[in-house]
Amino acid sequence: MIKKILIIDDSPIARKMLKSCLPKDKGYELCEAADGEEGIRKYLEFVPDLTFMDLTMPKLDGYQAIDAIRKLDKDAIIVVSTADIQRESMSRVINAGVFSVLRKPMKSKFVQEILIRVEAEKKKRAGGE
Amino acid sequence: MGDEHEYIFSDEEKDILQEIMNIAFGSASADLGDVIDIYVELSTPDIQVLDVGDIPSYLIERMHFRQKETSIVAQNFWGDFKGSGILVLPNKAGRNLITVLDDDQAGLDTEPIAGQEREVLMEVGNILIGACVGKVCELLETFVTYTPPRVIHDSGNEYDSFVKSFDPSQAAIIMETVFKFQKVDINGLLFIFTNQEAIEWLRKALHNFMESYE
Amino acid sequence: MIFSQIFDMVNIGIVILDKDLKVCKWNRWMEIHSKIPREKIVGKSVFTFFPDLNTPHFLRNFKSVVTFGNFAFFSQKLHQYLFPFETTEALGTSFRYMRQSCAMGPLRDEKNVIQYAYITVQDVTQLAAYQQKLKDLSIRDPLTKVYNRGYFEKRLEEEFDRYKRYPGTFSIIMQDIDFFKNVNDTYGHQAGDYVLKTFASIIVSNIRKVDIFARYGGEEFCCLLPETEIEAAMNVAEFLRARIESNIFQFRDTPIRITMSQGVAELQEGTVSAKSLLQKADNALYEAKRCGRNQVIRIDSSSQLSIDPPEDTPSPLPQQVNAEDIQAICHETLPTAQRDKSE
Repeated sequence: MIKKILIIDDSPIARKMLKSCLPKDKGYELCEAADGEEGIRKYLEFVPDLTFMDLTMPKLDGYQAIDAIRKLDKDAIIVVSTADIQRESMSRVINAGVFSVLRKPMKSKFVQEILIRVEAEKKKRAGGE
Repeated sequence: MGDEHEYIFSDEEKDILQEIMNIAFGSASADLGDVIDIYVELSTPDIQVLDVGDIPSYLIERMHFRQKETSIVAQNFWGDFKGSGILVLPNKAGRNLITVLDDDQAGLDTEPIAGQEREVLMEVGNILIGACVGKVCELLETFVTYTPPRVIHDSGNEYDSFVKSFDPSQAAIIMETVFKFQKVDINGLLFIFTNQEAIEWLRKALHNFMESYE
Repeated sequence: MIFSQIFDMVNIGIVILDKDLKVCKWNRWMEIHSKIPREKIVGKSVFTFFPDLNTPHFLRNFKSVVTFGNFAFFSQKLHQYLFPFETTEALGTSFRYMRQSCAMGPLRDEKNVIQYAYITVQDVTQLAAYQQKLKDLSIRDPLTKVYNRGYFEKRLEEEFDRYKRYPGTFSIIMQDIDFFKNVNDTYGHQAGDYVLKTFASIIVSNIRKVDIFARYGGEEFCCLLPETEIEAAMNVAEFLRARIESNIFQFRDTPIRITMSQGVAELQEGTVSAKSLLQKADNALYEAKRCGRNQVIRIDSSSQLSIDPPEDTPSPLPQQVNAEDIQAICHETLPTAQRDKSE
């Protein structure tokens, strides 16, 4: 069950947009960070079930943050949100061990789809133990 | 001078504009790869509001390289969203692009290089400017019409009269991105100018955009 | 009703393509000029009837239009035409195919999504002919109609730039008609003009289309031979020398004969500029004059001073010619007696 969601994006508007795409009735606990460094700190404090990450950020960019988080928690479920989905960028992202990619500008239905897939993945992992 | 413009956009409006530009330029990058078959990377756009009179010195400062060593492609567009797009490339870029775009142009070996280069620059400028402006329009649910692109030579006259063509009583919003072609090592600058007239419409359009995310 | 009439009434070709490049609409102008009725082409890929359109350039622009909604412009300057239609304007033009100025733009559906691209085709043949005339005036010599010096120098710079980047080389030949002043003095200026015009046309008909031949000065000409090494250039120059020598320039009742001197130089690794190459050829030309005229001299750059003075030339090398750079190989073609007479 997804209870806690961490949103890492330097654009307050992007964070607002993502929040509005999340279903309100699931009682998710949300946490936000405005750059890669803050994102890592919050990850350790908050221990989210799911993390949304923007790729282009100041201080520490998305790729570096993803690396750092996966080193801390190899089971971290990270969804990258980006507008640039070129093949080259995508292969880099996939190799970084990201769970899925959310294309900007985001739409509620795609966010829902991702949530469903993450729930399924968590169930699978729980069942597997 | 700059103070009057503080009130053109509120902080929140600036943030929305920034995010829209991020999305527009990011997805333009993505689609460009398919269209021109070359991987292009557009940097996160930097947005400034300037007095039209400050534009020349701003351009010179941002272009880093001196006027003589650059090629400039300019294009106008009109509609709800009105303005100009300018592409600034180092002089050698034209030639490198010819070899990379590698097509029937190569058959035109008898055509002087200068002519081919010019055409390639205009074509690339047309596509890049169209990609960025096009994506912004898509996000803001509008469309624009474009004039043919033109190459502005570094001969003082053309450049000056181009700059003078902006209405001095107005302010301009400049959105600047650095783009890199991966296959060929070319870095350049892309500017999109729009003036005060478009700002009222832009403000409304920004709020419309956010409506679905409230 | 009015709008649908516009489609077929206007003096512009209008084609509408869907995203797969299939023709959706083909207006009357296109039907008439292509001689393809719409029933035949609608529903098929535009490349079926126009395979030459299938180029990366065209596709790139098409994709840009349907992806970003921008416009693409195909000017007649570079592309000449998109659709090969035979020209209807017979007067005053030498174009076989209509010159076209074309534009492409997006068309959307009710949901504002781009579904089609339109192409407009305008006949600009007259305009193109006019532009060509204007261009010729600025790049050609009015008397002989070959290129003028300005244009030659511009092309020389361009070729120099091009060859600095790609493998291969080119050569240039500097030519000067021997004793041309005498022709004018003896037979009059009209005869002189006639000789120049005929000389130029003989050269032009004996060189390739890609070679750039120009009138450099009064009786001085030059020729740039792309993709040509010095040996081949020497052969061309020798061939031309013989042609000119043997030609009888018949001006009214008077047969006139002339010869020309030529200097040849080749672009090499060490060549620093287009101008220096021109200078080399000029030096060689000077040497040809000095060695007795009616001959071809080549310049090879070498750091070694190695000069084989022609046997019958008693005078020492004049100061202006840079002795270090010249390794002169004289092609002796004059019989000994005439050689003595020279200068």
